[in-house]
Amino acid sequence: MEKVAIVGIGHGKFGVRSDASLRELIFEAVKACLEDSGLALKEVDSMVTGVAGDEFAFNVQPSAQVHDYIGFYPKPNFRVEGACATGSVALRTGWMNIVSGLADVVLVVGVEKMTEVSTSMATEIMGRAGDAIWEYPFGTTFPGYYAMIANAHMAEFGTTEEQMAMVAVKNHYYGNLNPFAHMQKEITLDKALTSFTVAYPLKLYDCSLITDGAAALLLASEERAKAISKKPVWIAGLGLATDTIRLSDREKLTSLLATRVAAKAAYKMAGVGPADIDMATVHDCFTIAEIVAYEDLGFCERGEGGKLIEAKETYLDGRIPVNVDGGLKAKGHPLGATGVSMAIEITKQLRGEAGERQVKNPEIGLTHNVGGSGQIALVHIFRRE
Amino acid sequence: MDFKNFSLNISQTKVIRFVEELAAGRIMATICKKCMKRYYPPQADCPACWESDMEWKQIGSEGKLLTFTKIHVPPEHFVVRQPLMPFSSVQFEPCPIGILEVEDGLRIMGWMPKIDLKKIRIGMKLKASPQILPDSKVTILFEKV
Repeated sequence: MEKVAIVGIGHGKFGVRSDASLRELIFEAVKACLEDSGLALKEVDSMVTGVAGDEFAFNVQPSAQVHDYIGFYPKPNFRVEGACATGSVALRTGWMNIVSGLADVVLVVGVEKMTEVSTSMATEIMGRAGDAIWEYPFGTTFPGYYAMIANAHMAEFGTTEEQMAMVAVKNHYYGNLNPFAHMQKEITLDKALTSFTVAYPLKLYDCSLITDGAAALLLASEERAKAISKKPVWIAGLGLATDTIRLSDREKLTSLLATRVAAKAAYKMAGVGPADIDMATVHDCFTIAEIVAYEDLGFCERGEGGKLIEAKETYLDGRIPVNVDGGLKAKGHPLGATGVSMAIEITKQLRGEAGERQVKNPEIGLTHNVGGSGQIALVHIFRRE
Repeated sequence: MDFKNFSLNISQTKVIRFVEELAAGRIMATICKKCMKRYYPPQADCPACWESDMEWKQIGSEGKLLTFTKIHVPPEHFVVRQPLMPFSSVQFEPCPIGILEVEDGLRIMGWMPKIDLKKIRIGMKLKASPQILPDSKVTILFEKV
């Protein structure tokens, strides 16, 4: 099978970007990505655009906005979607483009322009990502779904609100060191625990942010990658799995089946196990989601996720650094851009370019991206050599 | 009855009978006549055996609570008071919701307006009942047995 590497990364500033439209956000990320790779757009064969929602920014057919605005037509470009995991679906699709032989150099972009609508409207749009017919009539929201996972996890394993708040404190600490992050401020445990309740037991600081942002990656086949980049980062394992649309119908409410199955596939393809992973970016749309991810990815035993953060094992100097870019929690969660941003962080870390957030000499990194409340999950494993 | 009276967003489905039965006081599931697999929410089609010959059956409404939450920041349908917005004329103050496991492992979602959040425990026994709201919408409430 053809080997595929990341040979260019471009990250736009995440935040409330009331200064820019969806297509303008993409332009920033693609420009940075091309500069990083040293390639011109005319050297790119094909493109994949990840956008999760059509309703945030009146952007039905968003891929056309993108290839028009950056002048990529008439080359191939299409849009992919996987809710909050859209960016990782785009990366996987880009990889498939190269492995299939259809292209040698592929641009993968992810973007979401979320703040054009009100917070309550954005909450509604995301709430519909569950079962819009059978669960939404009960006023369900994204925080609501994860709050139900949190209550089940607390009841089964004794996980505490303090442990969840510790995830927020960690991710805000590292977000403060990431110039592309939406929130650049540290928070205290007390501040997290006393913030207002969004969906019991989740409080404001347990929730990721409604964010505008774009990110872009350039992928290349083995031969092209070695010619383009001195430090290509190889895609060594890919896993994608799915689960029921309704949270109600899950086999377990304290674990995501899609994560477990996707992780198993990615570990097998890369020929590694959880203990081989030097660092990870995981889907912390809510603090409980990061704790569940520790367990589902095999970084600790089932039910021990709360203790892992309590022991600070997921800090930079811990056993397995997680989300040292601030995570969705502090970096922000522009749905379509998130998965691409995760892969950018791993690329920076494996290249040794993460500055004061640099993990010591990492060789293998993992991204974990979840759509909705676990209806889809993708795990990707990256290698330096 | 318009299915939208339950679903808020869609009218067109093969299981429209669900909302009519709910308004008449019954929570219904469908059962595949061939393989006997039960579906709640009701399905018109059975992906277990790929048949679409289904029977309707009222489901036992007592069960144990699997999980719950209380959503304080609601989606727009539940926050904006406009005549065209279903539910907006009903004052559903932030109210706990939960998932109840009833007979045969079927899981029902419902509101718990009469139960204090502090007294909700996972595993507690509750009963699901259909409820017609003042604006003629229909939904499901959980109450203590």
